[in-house]
Amino acid sequence: MFIQQLITGLSIGSVYALMAVGYSLIYSLLNFTNFAHSVCVMVGAYVSYFFLLLVADNILAAALCSLVVAGVLSAIIEKVAYQPLLDKNVNRIYLLIAGLGIQIVGENLVIVLLDGRFHAYPTTFSSIPIKLFGISIGLIDLIILGVSSLALVLVELLIRKTKTGLAIRGAASDLNTTALMGVPVRRLITIVFLLAGLLAGLAGSFTGLKYTAYPSIGSLTTKAFISAVFGGLGSIPGAVIGAFFLGVSETMIAAYVSSSLRDMFSFVLLVVVLVIRPTGLMGKATEEKA
Amino acid sequence: MLKIENLQASYGKIQALRDISFELNEGEIMSIIGANGAGKSTLMKCIIGLQRPDGGSVIYRGRPMGKSTYKTVQNGIVLVPEGRWIFPALTVEENLKLGAYIVKSPDEGLKRSFRMFPKLEERKKQRAGTLSGGEQQMLAIARGLMANPKLIMLDEPSLGLAPLIINDIMNIIKEINQQGVTVLMVEQNAKKALGIAHQACVMEQGRIVKRGSAAQLAQDESVIAAYLGGNKGGTTDHG
Ligand SMILES: Nc1ncnc2c1ncn2[C@@H]1O[C@H](COP(=O)(O)OP(=O)(O)OP(=O)(O)O)[C@@H](O)[C@H]1O
Ligand SMILES: [Mg+2]
Repeated sequence: MFIQQLITGLSIGSVYALMAVGYSLIYSLLNFTNFAHSVCVMVGAYVSYFFLLLVADNILAAALCSLVVAGVLSAIIEKVAYQPLLDKNVNRIYLLIAGLGIQIVGENLVIVLLDGRFHAYPTTFSSIPIKLFGISIGLIDLIILGVSSLALVLVELLIRKTKTGLAIRGAASDLNTTALMGVPVRRLITIVFLLAGLLAGLAGSFTGLKYTAYPSIGSLTTKAFISAVFGGLGSIPGAVIGAFFLGVSETMIAAYVSSSLRDMFSFVLLVVVLVIRPTGLMGKATEEKA
Repeated sequence: MLKIENLQASYGKIQALRDISFELNEGEIMSIIGANGAGKSTLMKCIIGLQRPDGGSVIYRGRPMGKSTYKTVQNGIVLVPEGRWIFPALTVEENLKLGAYIVKSPDEGLKRSFRMFPKLEERKKQRAGTLSGGEQQMLAIARGLMANPKLIMLDEPSLGLAPLIINDIMNIIKEINQQGVTVLMVEQNAKKALGIAHQACVMEQGRIVKRGSAAQLAQDESVIAAYLGGNKGGTTDHG
């Protein structure tokens, strides 16, 4: 029983992590929270739904499709909405407002063009349980946990081991200095949005698989945002740790205490972190910014 | 090699550069000296593309310079900015590798950096933020060289360093120049700067008020009075 809950918690945490890493990546470069992130998650959820409905009953192919579409969408949002604002060097508050606008428009566009209902994924897959060491575990939790972890490891490798990753880490410290190294910083920012979008699309697909697709599904990014703040906005390992912590705690509270306390826990956590340690577990202190 | 014509720049209402014109010859060291706030750093930022000028032009090898910083770097101009601007959270080695972003492989540059600055090799796995001021300056210069520039601009390389280390840095700058790299240097330490330069300019309030060979300027009465005889560089310096 406990193991089952733990796996469920880890799987939820891994989805939070996919979304939280996107928040942190963008925050580390531009010092603002990309509220349009939730639109990418929502689009990811719907793309998988339609893929399963119209193309094939293959959840991995559907997830891949979501990932690509949401990644491209995220890059387009950055180019069209944020870059003109960044060029004008405006106060960060305008970026936040633009992001909120995209979020509201995106959600309502789905309601207008489609409907406001819940769409369960048309797949036979989600109900299959498997037996492992005598415990029955939802196969979908295992798949979600496995694929998400793989994606997170790939992102970590990209950041740690490649030239682009090095440039991203440099840009997290200072964009101008990074430009002085000959890095096309504009393009780097677009790449980071693309990366965040890819992860958001995957997260959307998995969230839809678990909870169905619906217009406000992107609001789950609130949990990811809390994870990112808890781990320290701008820190990628922090975001991942925060996300797994939140996923597991929520599941345990729902299972052993009360499911109505679950969401309250996240928000209390947010408030406590902001009061006690605003930089989070591993947040970049201001002195890190040269 | 580099020709600046009537360059103007401002921050809001503050006019930082007024009609700057000069020419830099390939293979030479040019020093720009001038008091705080004269506009020296602004000039370098305009050349590298970090700041947009209001007017005038920067012509590099017969062509007007592009607008984006990364293209300027790819064309062979590098700026080692004032205050170093190293990446504190990255290791020394990572700082150098990022400096080599436009180069295929950083290996050769790393070897050269470590030959020039053995200290950096000892510290290569250390976070750059933990280096001393002098070591950070060495890192900033070495990082600038990683891109194999044709022209390197150094903004106050001796800032905050002890006289002995300043001598080291000046020797390194001469060595870099002897390897064929053109140098444009801004310095408060006028004596040192004129000592190693071929050409020099004096900037005051956004204008170039004097220009000539470094030897000439070092003899100039008003330069001696303002930058060499006073309490800057000359008297406090035993090197
Ligand atoms: N970001 C900025 N915003 C507003 N004014 C600025 C800015 N940067 C520089 N200035 C102003 O422009 C003028 C030139 O500054 P600049 O930094 O180019 O001088 P400098 O010659 O490099 O001085 P220092 O020797 O102190 O480094 C100064 O009057 C300064 O106050
Ligand atoms: Mg300056």
